[in-house]
Amino acid sequence: MSQEQKNKKPDQSYWGIVKRQFKKNRLAVWSLRVVYLIFFVGIFADFLANEKPLYCKLEGKTHFPVLLDYGVSMGLVKMPPELLNVDWVKADYESVLRAPIPYSPLTQDFDNAFASPTKKQDVTSWRFRHLLGSDQLGRDLLSGLIHGTRIAMLVGIVSMSIASFFGILLGAIAGYFGDNRLQVSRVTLLLNVVFVFFGWFYAFEARTYIMSDALSDSFGSFSFQFLISLLLFLAIMFIPNLIAMLFKGISFLGKPVTIPIDIIISRAIEILNSIPILLLILSVCAVVKKPSIMLIMVIIGLTGWTGIASYIRAELLKVRSLEYIEAAQSLGFSEWRIMLRHAIPNSLTSVLITVAFGVASAILTESSLSFLGIGVQADVVTWGKLLNEARSEVSSWWFAVFPGLAIFVTVTVFNLLGEGLTDAMDPRLKQ
Amino acid sequence: MLVYILKRILYFIPTFFIIAGLTFLLGTMAPGDPVELKLSAGMQSSEGQGQASDKLTGEKAYREWNEKLGRDLPTFYFSVTSKSYPDTLYRVLRKTERDNLERLIDRYGNWPQIVAYYKSVKALESAAISLSIDASDSTAFSRVKTVRESCNNLYRHYENEVNQIDLDNIKTAVNTSIQVKDSSGNVINYLALSPIKAQADAVFSSYDAMKQQATTSLKYVPAIHWYGLHNQFHRWLFGDVPWFSANTDPAKVSKGFFRGDFGDSYLDNRPVNSILRDAMKWTLLMNFIAFIIIYSISIPVGVSLAVKKGTRFDKAMTASLFILYSVPSFWVGTMLIIFFTNNYYANWMDIFPPYGLGKIGPEYTTWAKITDRSYHLVLPIFCGVYGAFAYISRQMRGGMMSVLRQDYIRTAFAKGLAPNTVYWKHALRNSLIPIITIFSSFLPAMISGAVIIEYLFTIPGMGRVSYESTVALNYPVQFTILMFSAILTMAGTLLSDILYVITDPRISFTKREG
Repeated sequence: MSQEQKNKKPDQSYWGIVKRQFKKNRLAVWSLRVVYLIFFVGIFADFLANEKPLYCKLEGKTHFPVLLDYGVSMGLVKMPPELLNVDWVKADYESVLRAPIPYSPLTQDFDNAFASPTKKQDVTSWRFRHLLGSDQLGRDLLSGLIHGTRIAMLVGIVSMSIASFFGILLGAIAGYFGDNRLQVSRVTLLLNVVFVFFGWFYAFEARTYIMSDALSDSFGSFSFQFLISLLLFLAIMFIPNLIAMLFKGISFLGKPVTIPIDIIISRAIEILNSIPILLLILSVCAVVKKPSIMLIMVIIGLTGWTGIASYIRAELLKVRSLEYIEAAQSLGFSEWRIMLRHAIPNSLTSVLITVAFGVASAILTESSLSFLGIGVQADVVTWGKLLNEARSEVSSWWFAVFPGLAIFVTVTVFNLLGEGLTDAMDPRLKQ
Repeated sequence: MLVYILKRILYFIPTFFIIAGLTFLLGTMAPGDPVELKLSAGMQSSEGQGQASDKLTGEKAYREWNEKLGRDLPTFYFSVTSKSYPDTLYRVLRKTERDNLERLIDRYGNWPQIVAYYKSVKALESAAISLSIDASDSTAFSRVKTVRESCNNLYRHYENEVNQIDLDNIKTAVNTSIQVKDSSGNVINYLALSPIKAQADAVFSSYDAMKQQATTSLKYVPAIHWYGLHNQFHRWLFGDVPWFSANTDPAKVSKGFFRGDFGDSYLDNRPVNSILRDAMKWTLLMNFIAFIIIYSISIPVGVSLAVKKGTRFDKAMTASLFILYSVPSFWVGTMLIIFFTNNYYANWMDIFPPYGLGKIGPEYTTWAKITDRSYHLVLPIFCGVYGAFAYISRQMRGGMMSVLRQDYIRTAFAKGLAPNTVYWKHALRNSLIPIITIFSSFLPAMISGAVIIEYLFTIPGMGRVSYESTVALNYPVQFTILMFSAILTMAGTLLSDILYVITDPRISFTKREG
């Protein structure tokens, strides 16, 4: 890659130009730094705000309780029995190194219920002050915000990964093949239609109960079962394409049929766009027995691909008539290979813009849902949920200000990032 | 152009059916049994206990309500299942029982044996209900109760281990005898439950038969059943009352979605369309006011920014508009409620009412009504307006800027027109077109936004109703709102597309379709 070389001359590669343009936009550069900070806080939330000390010496033994928690949750080690009933905040340590915020989001501190960040608090030292206040059970707001960062980050990553996968694939197919370039032989089409039915039947219908049992068990095991079903489906869909090879020689069966794939995909985009996402998620949450934050991320992802798809569709409409694509065609590569290996990579960078805006809107959607109290389990702390706590007590202004500020800053930063990328990639600005 | 418009309208039809299908699919996945919900609201559930007559009237009411709601019909025009499924499973009305039968089918795959077992349990239960126990054995009552409860458990469970326990309970209950003296004074073993012993034995044998003659391989043979127009989906959309002739059958009550019959609310049996009419009024009013405010502010703002392009004022305003667009409305709403609807922080800060629409009595004059209403609507409308205002102002600025670059504007300046005439008369008109049509892309966001704002300020609009019906699992209302918002959005898109073509003759129709 040319941008890795350290030339004296300014880098003239596409990325080099984009980078230079991006760096001129100070607002966008600062936004990127805030994004890094958000990721840092999200990843190290357990080390930043935790009632358990990072290191402690208790009854002559040294422990690393936070690290220990990771080990326990991964099943590597067992919790030592002497640590099971420790009151982490008030325990008598011989020596201790606490997390910067010595509270977990659910740690209760009844001495400091509704502690105001500006007023005197009933704490032994400044170390234990609730810097941004606490709620009626004395749960620390700052700790909640730090752990909520992780949820917000996850929402952005999970939903946008799903959305990017579907958006890039479907948008590229619609843009590259258009309405008259996707041609398959009659026999392939026929066999595929028949086998979609069989694939669906054996992979999903016959495994309904396996999957629904897994869903009531946990979301993880459901994902696993769903993956198996998906692989089974793909395996079944492999068969008709194999059989079709044999019959292609027969002129009647081998005659090509054109599939107007662009119309089909554009229509699907239009349908999805016409359903207000919040209402759709509300309806789905009403139907599902145990809605979880994971489910909401997945729905946001499954409905949010339309923006990316329209974007990449427009890109590929331009790309497909470029000379290098024609060159690849004349070399005899298959259309799918050209699309996947040559056309899509060339337009991927611009998808970053839509992803940046998408992360912002995904975080906004999730926080408004948890603000409404929909789809959040009791033990999960999110920004929206914290903001809603302000409604129960007028005097706790800190719950009205800080969680909303966190949402606002995150959303703005991602929007600014998207705006900065748009400007940087705009070819009119290239010098 | 007419062809283009017609084509767009024709596209609308399949889209509508797909959305209806998706909504309906969601509805079929909804847990719980609405009929049971309706009946249990009226009386205590009498399953397992209660009198025999209660149980029978309960069954009858259950059946009637199912017919009234059309739930005795197959779900869709056709069904694709495995061959082990019968095509008449929908006739088992109770969802819990039907789900359990499906589980049994999934496990054993032999429908004839399963149905024999199911019927034998039913027979045992009704025999146990109608069994009259003579006074010689006072402990028999509790045993009959055991039998009935076990039968109820058998309806609900498919796991072999659980069912074995219930079967054993029945067996012990039926075979327990006590010693009594007969009329001649001899001590004999008295089987109080002997009249239902035959039915109990039938249950045991049919259960064993079902287990032993399992045909699980049938599970992997697909089968398609065709049900025709008599199904729940068709009834939901088109109703079962005849369209063009008088209704002669009193059992047919549904007019269907297309004739404005969206069913009844589960909670209070009110027709959904009357609930919606009341709710829609507020949402439409609020959005209409918001719409006017947005456009009447953002157009001048956008134009003046474009005119002052590059100045410090423009840069600062554009940046702050961008940031304003990112401010979550529920945050602003919460802050406004916390700080400006009470006197906790300062007396002067108690400016607005915190929620609701206020009570309007008959003594109010028209003017008092209007001021009171607007007083209550200020905060919610503000929360709904500023995001769209920021967005449209920016769009307006962009549109105006591209128009100002064009030659005819330079010509207008060159012939000596006053700058304001050029901006507001010549440039504005052309840059308005995309702005007017942009509202369609805003409709879904406005509907979603209404959910949050109406939740925050307790305004009885569509959003609030939608939120409440989600929490209360009130599906008819929930899904009707979902359908309506999708239709509204599609109609908006359609309208804006048509407007676009009408207002700007330069747009070529053929290219837009490709």
